[in-house]
Amino acid sequence: MFKKLINNSAAKSPWIYHVNSGSCNGCDIELVACLTPRYDAERFGFKLAGTPRHADIVVVSGPITSQSKDRLIRTLAQVPEPKCVVSIGSCPQSGNVFKGSYSVEAPLEKFCHVDVAVAGCTPKPEAIMEGLYKAALLLKEKREAMSK
Amino acid sequence: MEILKSIFYILVFPGALFTMVAGLWLAGVDRKVIAKMQKRIGPPILQPTYDFFKLMGKETIVPRVANRLVFLGAPVIGFISLAIIMLFIPIFGFTAFSGSADLIVILYLITISGVALIVGGSSSGSPYAGIGISREMVTMMSYELPFVIILLTVAKKVGGADLVFSMDAIGAWQRANGSLLFQWSMIPAALAMLLVIPAEVGVQPFDVAEAETEICEGPLIEYSGAALGVFKLNTAMKMIIMTGLFTSLFLGGFTTGIVALDVLIFVAICTVLTLLCMTTIHAVTARLKIEHLFRFYWTFVAGLAMASLILVWCGL
Repeated sequence: MFKKLINNSAAKSPWIYHVNSGSCNGCDIELVACLTPRYDAERFGFKLAGTPRHADIVVVSGPITSQSKDRLIRTLAQVPEPKCVVSIGSCPQSGNVFKGSYSVEAPLEKFCHVDVAVAGCTPKPEAIMEGLYKAALLLKEKREAMSK
Repeated sequence: MEILKSIFYILVFPGALFTMVAGLWLAGVDRKVIAKMQKRIGPPILQPTYDFFKLMGKETIVPRVANRLVFLGAPVIGFISLAIIMLFIPIFGFTAFSGSADLIVILYLITISGVALIVGGSSSGSPYAGIGISREMVTMMSYELPFVIILLTVAKKVGGADLVFSMDAIGAWQRANGSLLFQWSMIPAALAMLLVIPAEVGVQPFDVAEAETEICEGPLIEYSGAALGVFKLNTAMKMIIMTGLFTSLFLGGFTTGIVALDVLIFVAICTVLTLLCMTTIHAVTARLKIEHLFRFYWTFVAGLAMASLILVWCGL
């Protein structure tokens, strides 16, 4: 009985931790816009967590600069299972306009498994919301796989 | 039979299960109403329950530098102390346990739940938790002084010549002479109590210890999974305990005679108090600094409580 309740709750209360790996701040503003009264991501249970230990979904924005690479990997390792990684914007996918720079380690896929990637420079809050919601549904699947 | 009854009291009705359910209900109403005040749709009322069960299903990570026993034991001790407090708070006519020094027991058990947070945070070994626990200690010192004065005022008012610390006697006195809130000398104490509740629970203007945007949730920084879930549950349980304590100290003046109906009225009054002294204040204020919080409690709130104590001591 409790197992089913726990599995269902996994999709209903996804807490977000936001990692900025050298983003230009555009995607960060749009992520915060999701939590404002106009879009209100809290109605699905989304909440910004203060530390990676509390997080279910890690949101990565920015083109992974060499400086932030190690910190990003360490932060991702601190998140308890089940977890999802969502990349926001074109930067973590391809490097965007920073591609080819000596200080950018562009695709995020090199360092971790990316569950949902939201493209765009910057993506609209609606797109980010949809990506986060898909990640929340994935959390439930991962939790079910974990409890078997 | 007596033993079975005691076990039922501790585990189900005024104890653990009732406190959990009522606390999660209050926390859900709190979040929903804040959302409505900010023109949002807001999470469902069951959101804190979902949060709790989700955290139960998460991996619990214990940091390498942490003391495993203390790290995992602290939330459980907090939970047990909070579940026991509810046994001493009468729900209008109904009391589970009552002795001659209930108020003192309640005061100490509430402190234990705060100390559990401090001990758990300090055992995690994070520097952010260090800042958080020092702030938590200052917060506890701030609200403890007015809280003790309020309890002393109630004891003096009910006892007359000698102090009465028994919740049962306080309830009986109120049923005979009318609720304490309607005695004009007690109104400053009631106001002070309404201001002590948010600091005790740790909601917005007084959540300096768990400032998530500033020191990454302070003592809770290294907690994850089930241990974090129990700490979140403790916060929700404190809401029903503090508002319930207010209800039975200041509004315990009547009883319908039917326990189920009494409980419904009790939870309804607690919900109204939550909206009044936690939700509204949360929605309209920003976080205080720790020195402002300390000054506020030791001057304004303690002053209100002291005024009431002096009035009562003068026989009013």
